[in-house]
Amino acid sequence: MNKNLRITNNKFIDQTSRISFKFDGKTLYGFKGDTLASALLANNIHLVGRSFKYHRPRGIMACGSEEPNAIVQVGNDASMTEPNTRATEIELYEGLEASSQNCWPSVNFDIGAINNFFSPLIPAAFYYKTFMWPANFWKLYEYFIRKSAGLGKSPTKPDKDIYDHRYLHCDVLIVGGGISGIIAAKTAAKNNLNTVLIDDKNILGGTTLFQENECFKINNSYSNEWLKKEIETLNSLKNLTIKTRTSVAAYHSYNYILARENLTDHLDLNEKKDKIRQRLWKIRAKKVIIATGAIERPLIFNNNDRPGIILSSSIKKYIDYYGVKCGQKISLFTNNDSAYETAISLSNSGVSVNSVVDIRDKTNSLIVKQAEKLGIKIHWKSTVVNTNGYKRINSIEIMKLSDDSSAVVGKKIKEECDCLGMSGGWTPRVHLFTQSGGKLKFREEDNVFLPDKSNLEQISIGSCNGDFELYEVIKNSASSTNKFLNVKNIDYENLEIISSKEMDKKNIWLLPSDKPLGKTKPFLDFQNDSTANDVKLALREGFKSIEHVKRYTTTGMATDQGKLSNMHALGIISETAGVKMGELGTTTFRPPYTPLTFGTIVGRNVGEFFDIIRKTPIHDWHLENKAEFENVGQWKRAWYYPKENESMYDAVQRESKAARDSAGILDASTLGKIDIQGTDASEFLNRVYTNAWSKLEIGKCRYGLMLNEDGMVYDDGVTARLSENHYIMTTTTGGAANVMTKLEDYLQTEWPELDVYLTSVTDHYATISVCGPNSKKIVSKVIPDLDLSDSNFPHMSFKNAKIDKIKCRVMRISFTGEHSYEINIQSSYGKSVWEKCFEAGKEFNITPYGTEAMHLLRAEKGFIIAGQDTDGTITPVDLQMNWIISKKKYDFIGKRSLYRSDTIREDRKQLVGILTEDPKEVLEEGAQIVADTNKKPIEMLGHITSSYFSPNLKKSIALAVVKNGKKLKGKKMFVPMENKTINITITDTIFLDKENKRLNA
Amino acid sequence: MFLINCPYCGERDQSEFSAGGEAHIVRPKQPTELSDDQWAEFLFMRKNIKGIQFERWNHAHGCRKWFNIVRDTRNDKIHAVYKMGEKPPIK
Amino acid sequence: MLNYKSSINETKKYSEINMSEFEPVVKINLRGKKRDFITKIGKSLSIIIPTEPNTSSSNENLNILWLSPDEWMLYTNEKVHKLENNYNLEEKLFSEISKVNLGSVTNVSDHWSIINIRGKNTYELLSSGCPFNFNKFKNTKGAVTQTILNHVDVIIHNKDINEINLFVRRSFSKHLWSWMNDSARFL
Repeated sequence: MNKNLRITNNKFIDQTSRISFKFDGKTLYGFKGDTLASALLANNIHLVGRSFKYHRPRGIMACGSEEPNAIVQVGNDASMTEPNTRATEIELYEGLEASSQNCWPSVNFDIGAINNFFSPLIPAAFYYKTFMWPANFWKLYEYFIRKSAGLGKSPTKPDKDIYDHRYLHCDVLIVGGGISGIIAAKTAAKNNLNTVLIDDKNILGGTTLFQENECFKINNSYSNEWLKKEIETLNSLKNLTIKTRTSVAAYHSYNYILARENLTDHLDLNEKKDKIRQRLWKIRAKKVIIATGAIERPLIFNNNDRPGIILSSSIKKYIDYYGVKCGQKISLFTNNDSAYETAISLSNSGVSVNSVVDIRDKTNSLIVKQAEKLGIKIHWKSTVVNTNGYKRINSIEIMKLSDDSSAVVGKKIKEECDCLGMSGGWTPRVHLFTQSGGKLKFREEDNVFLPDKSNLEQISIGSCNGDFELYEVIKNSASSTNKFLNVKNIDYENLEIISSKEMDKKNIWLLPSDKPLGKTKPFLDFQNDSTANDVKLALREGFKSIEHVKRYTTTGMATDQGKLSNMHALGIISETAGVKMGELGTTTFRPPYTPLTFGTIVGRNVGEFFDIIRKTPIHDWHLENKAEFENVGQWKRAWYYPKENESMYDAVQRESKAARDSAGILDASTLGKIDIQGTDASEFLNRVYTNAWSKLEIGKCRYGLMLNEDGMVYDDGVTARLSENHYIMTTTTGGAANVMTKLEDYLQTEWPELDVYLTSVTDHYATISVCGPNSKKIVSKVIPDLDLSDSNFPHMSFKNAKIDKIKCRVMRISFTGEHSYEINIQSSYGKSVWEKCFEAGKEFNITPYGTEAMHLLRAEKGFIIAGQDTDGTITPVDLQMNWIISKKKYDFIGKRSLYRSDTIREDRKQLVGILTEDPKEVLEEGAQIVADTNKKPIEMLGHITSSYFSPNLKKSIALAVVKNGKKLKGKKMFVPMENKTINITITDTIFLDKENKRLNA
Repeated sequence: MFLINCPYCGERDQSEFSAGGEAHIVRPKQPTELSDDQWAEFLFMRKNIKGIQFERWNHAHGCRKWFNIVRDTRNDKIHAVYKMGEKPPIK
Repeated sequence: MLNYKSSINETKKYSEINMSEFEPVVKINLRGKKRDFITKIGKSLSIIIPTEPNTSSSNENLNILWLSPDEWMLYTNEKVHKLENNYNLEEKLFSEISKVNLGSVTNVSDHWSIINIRGKNTYELLSSGCPFNFNKFKNTKGAVTQTILNHVDVIIHNKDINEINLFVRRSFSKHLWSWMNDSARFL
């Protein structure tokens, strides 16, 4: 550490606790409370990165989130490294490793810097213009451009850090813990409002915290001393929650605010472990007070980007707060009074101030007078026309401004310096206000955009609302807060405030130089390397909209989102184009205000919490029996049960065969189940299904097809009539929630007159399906009291029964075409009943089968799966299921759509069966079907929707939708694949047991 | 993210709700009497207004009731919330 | 005999928070619009059906939670026998309500799992995944809300100061339980 650059009497940095860190591989030292930026400056390191396009050496320019240049890569672990972080926002911790970005091989010797010498050849939109042709070369161009451009390195392994989310509801949220925010917070909390105050720094106080100047006093104390006492009183307020190291990322409508809290980033490496690194607060505030302050503007002059050129207020913070001198011989360049505060602070700390270059003619405010009293030299009506020094500024060139300020006159003065502070005035931070939908107004007097109209319960106070003088800030913040919260806090009335008032204002967006514009480099956007010349070029080339100029020149599009550059770009555009700034408007400020890590956005929704997982009551059995699982909606369903070394194909073949040869058992608990009660239950079913329900006998089941109002198949399932006015409906696994919502919708909105109540009971029941020729023997062992004879218990009926003392419902329905039973029992007993069935079935080689075998088995029977064989464009007529459409019913959902001109077309795609010429050839689902491969372009007639090798038929079978398919039975067609063409024949959809003999076998 | 004042449960976060499109489109009582064009008008034609819009919403993760809202699509402000079957309180 | 198996079957303790499954209890979903429905249930169970949104009423044995203007959840304070499910309450209500067309009575005992959460950090845990504003709710004994917790539908019943019964559909319960355990360790 360079001792000369630290002043020792500093109050904010603990100079007894030394911290070691690494920058670009070199071990350096700083103190607890430093940022990486302040520690680097204390080590006399200004050069920290290279610019994006020209690879110019760049240094620290600011002290907060607006920093455009000092962006670094933190950490070098493949899973923990983080690119594009601002050195000005990284709190120093033991073990910190950071490195420069965008330079190779090193920040000191960067090969890309050759671009700087060619910079006249790389104007705005150079890449767009040059690499347009020929179009197919882009692949090549992109590779090289990406190699030489780009910012930091992305981590290559999953992030090991932990992030989470929290919701927070409050009466008043105050964003910004500077003097205004503190006044507002105290006012709100004292009046019993549940208040939250957040600030992105590690302590409250903003810039007033270190404002110790004769020109700013409150009740005879320095403003910082007064504020310190205010902060102390905050800590005793009950209703107030203070969150530091928390920055608002987004401000959405309805006062919904996302804020990122840094919990461990400032901790030593060994203290971070197993703690939440960052927390995203999702805040709902009844009222929001924005007190985000202002950003100091740079000045736009030739070579204004060299390391050592720093915003004047940042130099002040480095000396007054961090105790770090940014240089030994500092010059200042300004168009307003604030640089004089910096000059006084530096002078009081023993740093020699060369001079202040001020573009104004002369001004006599309190603070300027004080500076003059300290003997600080001032160049009035002057500008800096050039700076020198490649990796660190070493001198500036000063000239007088002409009377109209459009040019420079007289002799050039060269002044040696190792640091230049610049101040171009202040830009209120209105980003959050505009994010929330607020409209801005323009104040001509000092060229600022200010909050105007908003639809939300919010106000802006302090300098983000255009109050820059201490006196105004206190008075207006207090009165606006009182009015907004409808309270009366008199703490801030009758204060005796001394506050230097700025008396003269002058602004020149692009300062004149002794060289012509084409020969200078006045940077606007430091990170993206766009200059004032680029913006002017864009205007000459015909761009008018600021949004277009922004994209064309990339001004304001870097990771800092133009926090420093936007105003000047607007100023130069308005000047050049002759449009008033207020009419020009601004570009849109979009969230996040500062970049967020993906981890913060995702929170704990990673790994097992990435998506919701639903499990059946029998899930553990499937696990114990080595099932592979398939995601169906949010459910984990047993897919197949491979035996040792068995492939999926072999397992599915074995399971499918066993189910038909003897017995299979399937966990069908995921099917949606809806309990329907009410005197109009039958009428309701008549209206929602295509077939008729009134005559269904109690104790019987019926298959139903549900359409959308557009006539397309939506869902299907079996419904059982439990009593006169009581049914239980089953839906598909994936459709359950949507069907329930849809049915409720009709009941509540279209048919409120119907006396029908729906209750979801999906999770109440475990559903165990036992199928196959031996299923009857197995079920009779499990439920010996139940008469399973075909006469008592025929296909499509159900029986209530008990297993031990627990009620169950046994349904004789079949999705495989086999004789089968579905046992529905309360979920808590599901696994036990399953095991009982399995035990009882052992002598019959009962085989658990998964969803894949189930799909295969039903395809053999030509049963559809809604959502696989249908896709929202298929009517029941297309499925050749005319038998299920009641002719007698006057109306049902989707009925009218079945005879629209489009749905009655003969040549719609219709469901057919497909057999391959080679019975071993299994088609790919989704493969296209064609009739003529010679005619180009080949007409695609349809596609395969389901395809399997059937172990029971010993051949390949498939279902498909084919144009006019109904009439094409027996016709030979083709499925062209990448390397071959497969010959197929269109057939009937039912491949096995057309006579339904097996159902009663 | 809106805050929606469910007419039954009170003010809740938007994530508890699902949107159901344009409000006040009544399913024809006698669909069979309608021409293809008339049926298509009911089935497909929806307004997409920049300004005041009447919408159906469902408190899907709460009381599961459907209701209507009046929303200004320019700023997402919800001007009124009312139950199914009720007349819109704003024109 | 059949074996009974609940979905969670665990008790966990973290800083200022205890979580355990409350089972097996009888849960019955009640739906009805008619005035007779409300009076009949009231008389039958000696409990007043809450018609005020987001509230409940309780007696020594039972709790009735308001779910919507025509829907309620009834659950018992007493646990039932694991191997001899008690159907008395369901059958009684079914014959007094559903059979006479006053409304619907549906057994949902295993449709929902109940997780009992107690301790000062109860609402801190909820705020990790629930957009609902608990500021008023947490001080209102008997308050009920249906909302989402970590994207899963839940019903929350305020049993006492810093004690809630959280209803979650059985198939989601293991996942939510595991998420709750993950979140609770950071409290």
